[in-house]
Amino acid sequence: MSEWLESAISRGHQIDDWLAPKRTQAIDLLSTTPWPTRKTEAWRYTSLRAVQNSKAHEIETKTNLLPEHITNLSAIELVFVNGKLDKQQLPDVLPKGLSISLGSDLNKEQQSQALANFSDIKPKRHLFGLVNDALAQDVVIVNVEDGFNIKQPLRISSLLSLGAESHTRVQVTLGKESHLAVIEDVQAEGDSLCTAFVEYQVSAKAHLEHYRFALQTGSNVAVGGCHFNLLDHSSMHSTIVAFGSDLSRLDTDIIHSGEFVDAKLNAIYLLDGNELFDLHATVEHAMPNGTTEENVRCIVAGRSKAVFNGRIHIHRDAQKTLAELNNRNLLMTNTAEINTKPELEIYADDVRCAHGATSAQVDKQALYYLQTRGIDRAKASVMLNFGFINELIDLMPNTVLSEWIRPIIRNRFSAMEVK
Amino acid sequence: MTVQVEINEALGREYEAGFISDIESETFEPGLDESVIERISKMKNEPEWMLEWRLGAFREWLKMEEPDWALVDYPKIDFQAIAYYSAPKSMKDKPKSLDEVDPELIRTYEKLGIPLIEQQMLAGIAVDAVFDSVSVVTTFREKLYEAGVIFCPISEAIVEYPELVKKYLGSVVGRKDNYYSALNCAVFTDGSFVYIPKGVRCPMELSTYFRINEQNTGQFERTLIIADEGSHVSYLEGCTAPQRDENQLHAAVVELIAMDNAEIKYSTVQNWYPGDENGKGGIYNFVTKRGICHTSAKISWTQVETGSAVTWKYPSCILKGDNSVGEFYSVALTRGRQQADTGTKMIHIGKNTKSTIITKGISAGRSNNSYRGLVKMMASADGARNFTECDSLLIGDKCGAHTFPYIESRNPSAIVEHEATTSKVSDEQLFLCRQRGLDPEKAVSMIVNGFCKEVFKELPMEFAVEASKLLEISLEGSVG
Repeated sequence: MSEWLESAISRGHQIDDWLAPKRTQAIDLLSTTPWPTRKTEAWRYTSLRAVQNSKAHEIETKTNLLPEHITNLSAIELVFVNGKLDKQQLPDVLPKGLSISLGSDLNKEQQSQALANFSDIKPKRHLFGLVNDALAQDVVIVNVEDGFNIKQPLRISSLLSLGAESHTRVQVTLGKESHLAVIEDVQAEGDSLCTAFVEYQVSAKAHLEHYRFALQTGSNVAVGGCHFNLLDHSSMHSTIVAFGSDLSRLDTDIIHSGEFVDAKLNAIYLLDGNELFDLHATVEHAMPNGTTEENVRCIVAGRSKAVFNGRIHIHRDAQKTLAELNNRNLLMTNTAEINTKPELEIYADDVRCAHGATSAQVDKQALYYLQTRGIDRAKASVMLNFGFINELIDLMPNTVLSEWIRPIIRNRFSAMEVK
Repeated sequence: MTVQVEINEALGREYEAGFISDIESETFEPGLDESVIERISKMKNEPEWMLEWRLGAFREWLKMEEPDWALVDYPKIDFQAIAYYSAPKSMKDKPKSLDEVDPELIRTYEKLGIPLIEQQMLAGIAVDAVFDSVSVVTTFREKLYEAGVIFCPISEAIVEYPELVKKYLGSVVGRKDNYYSALNCAVFTDGSFVYIPKGVRCPMELSTYFRINEQNTGQFERTLIIADEGSHVSYLEGCTAPQRDENQLHAAVVELIAMDNAEIKYSTVQNWYPGDENGKGGIYNFVTKRGICHTSAKISWTQVETGSAVTWKYPSCILKGDNSVGEFYSVALTRGRQQADTGTKMIHIGKNTKSTIITKGISAGRSNNSYRGLVKMMASADGARNFTECDSLLIGDKCGAHTFPYIESRNPSAIVEHEATTSKVSDEQLFLCRQRGLDPEKAVSMIVNGFCKEVFKELPMEFAVEASKLLEISLEGSVG
């Protein structure tokens, strides 16, 4: 076991609060979970050295940290500063049908209900999920009542000051026939370490619109997860935009627990320098008639490393499933790396599943075409790269967000180390 | 009667090649230690360096752990319960011609429909048949000798051509490569050795039929094929084994070396005993096959896998030389309780290297069929190209079809394309065939044959017929 994990376990032991039974469970599992090595399939391409070497530690909350402003976005701000919920930044009045509470503020009965739902969706043996169980400062519980369509998006921001360590946890429940948009983002000043896990329970006929922006770069370690449990006739649309950092890993689990569920996941990652981003996306089709569409596009430059593991698992009962996964990668330099593994595991016969994966560089002919029209090579390359992922940005349901992210991505391209 | 009922009825079909030949065999007591390896080496009159090589592998093997990453489930193998050597007794004095061969052996082959005498003449195939662990008959040696081709049992090559064996044995699959290959290095008893000299096109297709015949005997063949510069060879390997209640281990190693501008085509039809309908018995087939391609060389693997209880097999190509080509065409059919985890690795090192992977997995009954493959583009592989297509067909709702492709690219000018689909035999296709008076089994057989066509067309003529027949027979029992 690594020193880092030992210290995490011993810190977990010291916390005595309403989450204690879950923390003990997690610590017990952690003690028997071997520290991943290159031989551990889930960490085959991603070294955990950055975690082991991390000097990040818990820092008393600074109150002057504010999330980056998103032009024209009017969101309900839920802000964690160094792992602690900043209640002052919560609006005084929430839209009707939406409630946000901190687990420790609930009464005993509510807490036991929250405990029952805690870690119910997240896979049991995810190493950093267990670390989060053991160390999360508290749990923020978000509820949308049946039938409510919350017009304002909920933005969950995790802000980390220099050298800070944080473990945030949110549980979101969408009631029947409700609608909610959630934006998750992390902003870190450097040398930080965070685990950020969100579990979503999407009830029958509800719709979840989801965004995760992992735009922190540099010497930050971020390991997190978004886990979705979808009931009958519910749907979700998720967009992930990520830049890499020293270590940036995200696990998503989409579980079709009801029939006629529709899930869409689009992910974009743009890596440069020595950055690493690792996305493990799992889709569990446990019930019949579900559809899944996944699109993952990735551009890597410099000496960066992209890892993608896309697993679609069709259970025995999940007849009439339609599932598609498309993974396209552009490799810009011969010092960068793409490691991709689109998996299909299928146990039902009346299904249609497909996946495709490609790795290449920008089409030389297209580049030449633009050059012949007087556009210099570097600019032409940016244009083509941008086109490659712009398709997915166009699919973002919230146009305010797509207008906000577009120039950020464009700037990223211009700065990318391309040969 | 519904299609499903008819199909289920047909499921009771017995293994066609399931019979036991009654031949006295000289067999070691079960168990494995250094003295067993020394005995094997002594029996084979091997030189000292070979024994040392084997013992080195054995010592490595003792330090290794059995791999558990494949999607297969089987009881733990007791390596001490296996006898590591078995030779048909009548082979002690090597026969000089077919007439000298134990007639029981010949009958065994005839029952299997292997064209050992007349048909091989017609087909122009030289057969180095391995019955249990010793090569029994080698034909057409003279004709090959004229062309300068060496085709002989590897045990003979170790004695006759030590400099070639020493240079190439273990050069592609090293002794420490993996658990089963290390075991093979330590205890292999026989196999084939082929050397094609510079610029020679092998005048005929080379073929080896393997049989497992002795109870409790693991088979550890070792095949080494060297195609020198500008040469060409097509090698055929076919397997079939008699019915048996105990699981038998088969851990072969095949090494191919294609020097500059050489071409090796390696085709396999594998029909080891798959176990009964409850998954009892059957062969464990844990095989390491790998080839290395030097400049402008080509290695093409084609396999039709219908047998074995558990298959663990990844014929691979190391595309070391510039402009070299690797191909992998595979049909894997599982039924009953069979489990197959098979695929390939294409390692692109040289510039402008190309690889093609076409696989067709068919799962029926309660079987599980996985494709596991790796395409790796090294930073040096400028202009390299890969195309992969993995299609799976599910027949019945109790089976599984899985795809685990690994793509690793470190070169921007390398292009990798992978696509995979999974579906069932479509009702429309079935309806169309039945409209035209075909019974459901025939219809499915036809559709499946069409599904596999891309791979079958890569097989040499003689094998294509056998493969097609094998598929049809296998489908008789399990398609719906």
